[in-house]
Amino acid sequence: MTSNWITTRAWFLMLPLLIVMIAVIGWPLVDTVRLSFTDAKLVGTEGSFVGLDNYAKILSGSNFQRTLITTFWFAVLSVAAEMVIGVLAALLLNQQFYGRSVLRALMILPWALPTVVNATLWRLIYNPEYGALNAALMQMGLIDAYRSWLGEPGTALASLIVADCWKNFPLVALIALAALQAVPRDITAASMVDGAGAWSRFRFVIMPYLAGPLMVALVLRTIEAFKVFDIIWVMTRGGPANSTRTLSILVYQEAFSFQRAGSGASLALIVTLLVTVLAVAYAALIRKSAGAS
Amino acid sequence: MSALELVNIRKRYGNVETLKGIDLSLASGEFLVLLGSSGCGKSTLLNIIAGLAEATEGDVRIGDRSVTGVHPKNRDIAMVFQSYALYPNMSVARNIGFGLEMRHVPAAERTQAVEKTAKMLQIENLLARKPSELSGGQRQRVAIGRALVRDPQIFLFDEPLSNLDAKLRMETRTELKRLHQMLGTTIVYVTHDQIEAMTLATRIAVMRDGQIEQLATPDEIYNRPATRYVASFVGSPPMNMLDATVGDGTAHIAGSLSGVPLPSPLQDSAGRVREIIVGIRPESLALAAAGDSGLTIEAKVEVVELTGPELVVTSMIGGQRLTASLPPRSQVAVGSTQHFSFDATALHIFDKATGKRI
Repeated sequence: MTSNWITTRAWFLMLPLLIVMIAVIGWPLVDTVRLSFTDAKLVGTEGSFVGLDNYAKILSGSNFQRTLITTFWFAVLSVAAEMVIGVLAALLLNQQFYGRSVLRALMILPWALPTVVNATLWRLIYNPEYGALNAALMQMGLIDAYRSWLGEPGTALASLIVADCWKNFPLVALIALAALQAVPRDITAASMVDGAGAWSRFRFVIMPYLAGPLMVALVLRTIEAFKVFDIIWVMTRGGPANSTRTLSILVYQEAFSFQRAGSGASLALIVTLLVTVLAVAYAALIRKSAGAS
Repeated sequence: MSALELVNIRKRYGNVETLKGIDLSLASGEFLVLLGSSGCGKSTLLNIIAGLAEATEGDVRIGDRSVTGVHPKNRDIAMVFQSYALYPNMSVARNIGFGLEMRHVPAAERTQAVEKTAKMLQIENLLARKPSELSGGQRQRVAIGRALVRDPQIFLFDEPLSNLDAKLRMETRTELKRLHQMLGTTIVYVTHDQIEAMTLATRIAVMRDGQIEQLATPDEIYNRPATRYVASFVGSPPMNMLDATVGDGTAHIAGSLSGVPLPSPLQDSAGRVREIIVGIRPESLALAAAGDSGLTIEAKVEVVELTGPELVVTSMIGGQRLTASLPPRSQVAVGSTQHFSFDATALHIFDKATGKRI
């Protein structure tokens, strides 16, 4: 009787939130699933039921496959670079030197900037006519003519990765720095007496303390990199020649540029599924590494 | 050739000087304890010997070479830390063998050395475990094993027993003493525990404010403390320190009616100083029998505490406190006035102004 009443009251108290969640998450999700089985347009037609046609077309189409590969490279390269640079920056900022706290504060800045601002800044740096990168490379004698870094399919994706890396390595550095500060001083001292050089000390003594926190950073960053949209949209809009088109851009183009709500919805669901698989795999990895330490 | 030599070691942090010129020479096989209260500079000195901190001035010599500026790994030392500092991700066996691994000792030889050390410390059944699966005492053994396995010239111990409970601390202390006797290694050991210092050391360096107050054998530290500080730091309950003035070869203890005749060798030297401290260890006092013709001092009993093996009697002479350790069955009533007898040779006389022994 009493426990019944408590359960009823609990549901009653959660009701407002449940209503909001059903309205903004539940219903759109259900409707997206419904849409994905139709040939609906964004405006005009409601569309008719087409079964799995949308999915079949997407999965067999070269657009999707090419975009998936681009997304894969973007995520792998940018996250890998962010992890390496982030850990190196954290190791540096963990040393004793004059002006360390100023440098620590400065390092956070790129990450604190809104992505759109960061993307705009980098578009200026890469500008083919007055960009700082061209000027710098020219003055160092590394190139003999200004180049359009974002305008050439060969360099656009790499340029985007650099910009994304610049923005996001501070997060990794921050997490790694916090972990480094948790390494007991005696442990590093003991390893020095034991004869471990800088590399062995990092590899055998410090890395085990970093592994757990870095795994969390890796999961967060990979999932974010996989669904990247804003930085690319501002800098290249997926071009040139679709060389920087990632899955989220493809979803946007399909649903809004080409106004194909039906296949846009099925594409969005495929991306959601891929990210979910990633998240579940990583969660298992984190549990495993937490158990190991 | 000495195993370790410290020449005028100084350490400054900004304007603060934490070590003020330490000179020390240690023979091979000695067990030196650096004893002092926290902040006296003993751990800093140990870190300088280990190479984990740099001295501002001075030279550290291990064996026949100067190691100033030499990396800890190249000093041929091993160190046991207060926190044990075991690598949490490695098994006990790898923890012990890590130093050998870093020195590229072949795996087979390493395993053999680890097993031998583990056997000596009776932890051979723990080799596969991780440090988190060990008790405090077991961790301490692993930490000691990690130092022993390398067979270095000098072992450094930084308060290794302070995280253990009282019983385990005593057992491990005995174990350390046994290991030292068995292996004949050279040890520098930092502690603030005077019992550890007295029981383990072949020599004790009592440190205070970045200086060595006295460097001597435990026997001498206890029986002939060089300063008032050393006298009060070593011994439990601590030595009684009574303010007194000197006149006609007699020490007049403030608040006491009778004077204490000073031993003749002291009469001259103490006679030059008017203000002295008369030190007497609580265990040097006994209840005076009726008609005792020897030296006695009268005091009013305030507190009586039975610790088990002894009866600690705290009494007052005027405004000064006098503690006596008596046999447990002594009959002493609180509030009564007692005569305590002592031997003139048990007295320690210090100059009140300088604190130095007279």
